[in-house]
Amino acid sequence: MSDAPAPETDERRDRLVEVLRSELGDRVVDSLVKPGDDVWVRVATDAWQETGRVLRDALRCNFFDFLSAIDWLPSPFGKSEDSPLDQRPALSTDIVTGYAGGETRFQVFARVTSLPERVSITVKADVPLEDLAVDTWSAIYSGANWHEREIHEMYGIGFRGHPYLAHIYLPGDFEGHPLRKDFPLLARHVKPWPGIVDVEPMPDEGDDAEAEGDAAAEGAE
Amino acid sequence: MGLVESGKMPKPLTNLLNISRRYSIWIFQWGLACCAIEMGAALGSPRYDVMRLGVIPLPASPRQADLVCISGTVTDKMVPAIRRLYDQMPDPKYVISMGSCANCGGPYWDSYSVTKGVDQIIPVDVYVPGCPPRPEALLEGIVLLQERIRHEDMAERWKGDPIVVT
Amino acid sequence: MTAISDRQKLAYVNAQAADGRVNLEFETEEGMTLNMGPQHPATHGTLRIVAKLDGEQVIHCEPVMGYMHRGYEKLLEVRTYPQVNTLVNRIDWLGSFTNEVPFILASEKLMGVEAPPRAQWIRTILFELGRIANISLFLGDTALHMGGMTAAFYAFRDREFVLNQIEAVTGGRFHPNFDRIGGLKDDFPKGWIADTKAVMARLRDFCDEIEDLVVGNEIFQARTRGIGIIPGDIAQSYGLSGANLRASGVDWDLRRDVPVGLAWDQCDWTVWTHPDGDSFSRYWVRLQEVREATKIVDQLCDGLPSGPIMAKVPRIIKVPEGEAWVATENPLGEMGYYVVSKGDLGPFRVKIRTASFNNISVIPWVTRGVYVPDVISILASLYFILGDIDR
Repeated sequence: MSDAPAPETDERRDRLVEVLRSELGDRVVDSLVKPGDDVWVRVATDAWQETGRVLRDALRCNFFDFLSAIDWLPSPFGKSEDSPLDQRPALSTDIVTGYAGGETRFQVFARVTSLPERVSITVKADVPLEDLAVDTWSAIYSGANWHEREIHEMYGIGFRGHPYLAHIYLPGDFEGHPLRKDFPLLARHVKPWPGIVDVEPMPDEGDDAEAEGDAAAEGAE
Repeated sequence: MGLVESGKMPKPLTNLLNISRRYSIWIFQWGLACCAIEMGAALGSPRYDVMRLGVIPLPASPRQADLVCISGTVTDKMVPAIRRLYDQMPDPKYVISMGSCANCGGPYWDSYSVTKGVDQIIPVDVYVPGCPPRPEALLEGIVLLQERIRHEDMAERWKGDPIVVT
Repeated sequence: MTAISDRQKLAYVNAQAADGRVNLEFETEEGMTLNMGPQHPATHGTLRIVAKLDGEQVIHCEPVMGYMHRGYEKLLEVRTYPQVNTLVNRIDWLGSFTNEVPFILASEKLMGVEAPPRAQWIRTILFELGRIANISLFLGDTALHMGGMTAAFYAFRDREFVLNQIEAVTGGRFHPNFDRIGGLKDDFPKGWIADTKAVMARLRDFCDEIEDLVVGNEIFQARTRGIGIIPGDIAQSYGLSGANLRASGVDWDLRRDVPVGLAWDQCDWTVWTHPDGDSFSRYWVRLQEVREATKIVDQLCDGLPSGPIMAKVPRIIKVPEGEAWVATENPLGEMGYYVVSKGDLGPFRVKIRTASFNNISVIPWVTRGVYVPDVISILASLYFILGDIDR
């Protein structure tokens, strides 16, 4: 965000990737460094816990930012269904993953920071659908404990070795995993978004205004 | 209060009781979200000073309160607690629903975990709109409620039916 | 030295006072279970604390959250970018503007847009005003939990002046919804800067007043000094941030250490740390933070550059594909958004990293073995906002 042009290389972030590669070998599947901005590393699923240990011990990334997950499946209910500008394109079910790639629908990702180096890293790992679980980080970063509970609740992803994988937000009898893309927001289905037509026609403006309103409403459907 | 229950309250006595009740409301604050801060400003800050209206904030428990102010987002997990709170209050009891979330769900109208309006679980006397309402708006809600109490037929209220104020 | 120290005696008296407010439930074995909440004055709203007690000591203390869970991360997936702005205001409802900034910055990063300097400066000023509005309430509220009502009234009184200034610019006391991708909705109104400087001077007086009234108070010191000590490495491992981290002696402030384009590097201010890591130091660091914030606002008001407040952005905002993370030092600590875009009108996935969620995850660790009234002191000094925990 500074005025200086972005540097071509970034030694601090390149070193992170190098150390991870030397410690984990080919279990570092992919990586992406944006010089002066950020770094993403994807590791194999079985190396997830070891990655955390390497980050903490070898790279001194002691500060735990967050741990989360993502569902790469495009939402079966449309993305911007309430916008009059979208013609509701045919919904694809292709999974297109983000930076540092990926092969599965679910991914876990975490971010840790090295305070002395002032550099952060985002690590990702695939979570295969047939065995929806990874090893826990809660013994490495204590803060991961609650984040993993949250992910377990929101995505149904298990964490092997977690001390207490209970509900954290939702009442105990809640069904489903809300942050999965195929979890519908029922209120939106029952009652369409009222803001589709953002200006209602004036009552005495005659047919023209009404037709316009209808057209906008149709465009949204 | 056999007199009230029998429905044969003399009018002057009703008037007297209503005036006294109007100016001695104990308000229990059920602060949930953003509105709780504005409610705190209305009830606790020297600038708005709710006590000049004859309203006493901060009772120790709902069992001593006449009025509860539900301010903020009501989630499905919170609903049993609110229901229990309401059941604990002695009659006659009044409810102010403060803010869009407590009125109808507000900005979380499509959320999977938010109750779309506290009136689904307890009867509400006054709705204060806004996100969040200014403290003045809450004070006006309290004044409206006082007006309602002033003209209330206590016998009707005791029956537990909803009251209609003109 | 007697068997019971003065502090313990005091703790006992306070426990008696607190007794009227807590709801006791007995369990069959292993001592007693104490339930506080889900609506409890000491929990700033709707946090519920379930503590297992042995006499007056806490064996284990487990926070139960979710009473304010509104499903933000799901809702943001069905909102467009301008709509997201409205919603995220309500995460940390005391410093609303500060919630918008990291999201807007992350979106701008993905779009490759940069707001003009004047917009960045005004953002910084409003950000710091949000910090003052937020933390000044903490300063009064914490004293309230320790039994001192007066400070809370003072805080509410002086906070109004800050809210007035925010309202004069944005039109909202609480939820300004003022930040836009590429700049700001509006400029400062006429005469605002002079008023703000007067308010800042007043807030510095408020800090002095609080220092006299609370920090020097014997009871307050007895209830906070040496209570709830969190060492720096534990704090980092739990991801504590903001004043909680700095009070543990870790010199880390995102405003200084990870610049995101806002104008903090343009002025002269100090990051305060405290080596103790106890409740008192957390209070003290926050008090200094308000002082520094007033200084920042004063300096930025003096040097405010002229120019436009909006960069050129398309009327309909579509953010290109990519992933971006921006975090800022919010009043409660590090708040960041991990925005994943698929080139749509709305984000594909937004991970909201809120400060309070990490900050209170340390509660089970820090409350082991403390006395019941110390739980109140620890909760108050960790300073969380329920919307910021549950989202």
